[in-house]
Amino acid sequence: MSQSEIEFTYNDQKITAVAGQSVGAALLAVNIRSLRLSRFNQNKRGIFCGIGVCFDCLVVINGVANQRACIIEAKNGMNVQTQVGSNA
Amino acid sequence: MHNVVIVGAGPAGLSAAIAAAAAGAPVLLIDSNPRMGGQYWRMAADSLENQIDQHYDLETGLLLINAVKARKEIEVWSNAQIWSATHKDGVNTLRIIHQDNEKIVNTKNLIICTGAYDRTLPFPGWDTPGVMTPGAVQSLLKGHAVLAGKRIVVAGSGPFLLPVATGVLKAGGEIVELIEANKPIRWLKSFAAMLENLHKINEGYYYLKTISTGKVRPRFGYAVVRAYKADNDELDSVDIAKIDRNFNIRKIKNIKCDVAAIGWGFTADTSLAGSLGCKQIVAEDDGVVIWADDKQQTSVTGIFVAGEITGIGGSELSMAEGVIAGISAAKFVGCKVEIKKAHIKRRAKKQRFATALIRAYPIKSGWKSWLTGESIICRCEEVDLNDLKHAITELGATDSRTAKLFTRCGMGLCQGRICGRSVVDLVADNLEISPTDIDRIAAVNRPIITPIPLGVLAAGE
Repeated sequence: MSQSEIEFTYNDQKITAVAGQSVGAALLAVNIRSLRLSRFNQNKRGIFCGIGVCFDCLVVINGVANQRACIIEAKNGMNVQTQVGSNA
Repeated sequence: MHNVVIVGAGPAGLSAAIAAAAAGAPVLLIDSNPRMGGQYWRMAADSLENQIDQHYDLETGLLLINAVKARKEIEVWSNAQIWSATHKDGVNTLRIIHQDNEKIVNTKNLIICTGAYDRTLPFPGWDTPGVMTPGAVQSLLKGHAVLAGKRIVVAGSGPFLLPVATGVLKAGGEIVELIEANKPIRWLKSFAAMLENLHKINEGYYYLKTISTGKVRPRFGYAVVRAYKADNDELDSVDIAKIDRNFNIRKIKNIKCDVAAIGWGFTADTSLAGSLGCKQIVAEDDGVVIWADDKQQTSVTGIFVAGEITGIGGSELSMAEGVIAGISAAKFVGCKVEIKKAHIKRRAKKQRFATALIRAYPIKSGWKSWLTGESIICRCEEVDLNDLKHAITELGATDSRTAKLFTRCGMGLCQGRICGRSVVDLVADNLEISPTDIDRIAAVNRPIITPIPLGVLAAGE
């Protein structure tokens, strides 16, 4: 692992990213495109606006729901999970 | 002397900060991104590979960012989220989450440069993973060095589609289709504005040259009208349609792709200025923007605006307005400085080009015919067109505000930023009326500027 590489987990799968990348970008880089299931129809959703406006790429990070994957920087040791509904 | 407080570090905010500091005012520059530059000069972290070929005019951006960094009078708060703003007795109170703490800024003057985001139109399947905005594709490349997919369709309308397609090709991606709903002939209507802004034509030529090198032939008069899911419920293909002048479908063909990047110009982010009571107006493209006088001052004394929130016009108009706003705000806090004729002339020239752009890429009402009853309109609350129609025909909604209350359309986490504009058009269409400016302005009023975790607030008080 080079110095600028970091590691986090997504649904217990190990993901390697470059420091500075967002969680959503790092997941897309390994072809993970569905990040949550919608609240009513349980439809898959992924990155849409990419700049923190639409709230569609929500994931659970270290147990906290409703985190925007597109703007939150991936950090070493993060535990990221698919958000199911509102995860309440 | 008081600080000049500026929100947003894109082309407008950076220009305003430098102008105000040069006039002698101390500046506080508040930005929500980790690095300055805004969406236009979005910068990747140092640890990522240099994304220089993703920018057309990075030199100007770096010049401004470095000038801001070099000036001791300018303090920058990056990664700062403003979640609430109020105006009372001439004082603006901003509540900001910065470095996990709540900070409160009280200021009599403010320059708001909150920019814009992609305008989207709903269509069947647009909530499928893989359908995204051109802005998302570009931000993934510029900010994170990630290509959004393997087979990318870029579509919608407006000059922004060109740099996005160019960026994908430069990063080694495949553009399966580049489709623009409007015909280039519309530009002839604004010949004078083109002639005085020839460098913009050069920029367009640069994109088209790169695109044709990538063996992509852009299509004009086409649109993506439907997205289909694969077995894994992610994007499999899109229907692209030849459309008439009013955007009604003529002929359809299906194209396999894993990303469809679709944008219809931009929507100004007026939330902050709106909650401080600045007068909002409806622009020529039906988008809501903040009204400003020739000094860039809003209807609220001491609050200035610059850039896309005064009307979509691109980075050069944003910079021109930013300089004037910076000078005006510095004067407001007591600096001896005046707006020069050259500043006014520069702004007028860029404004003429911006107006030409809006006229060259109109969004015609036929897009509504692409929808089915089951098409999702509000992505957050999963309200479909049938729900909206039901609110009108069965519950008696007489305007978009009432339809919103009946259906929760636009009341989700994004607070109608994505669907609000379309809902106003759809409700009016079903009522067989034209939307009023009041309808359009009501659709952008938001009590919370950025939703934040409640725990942060609880810890702070």
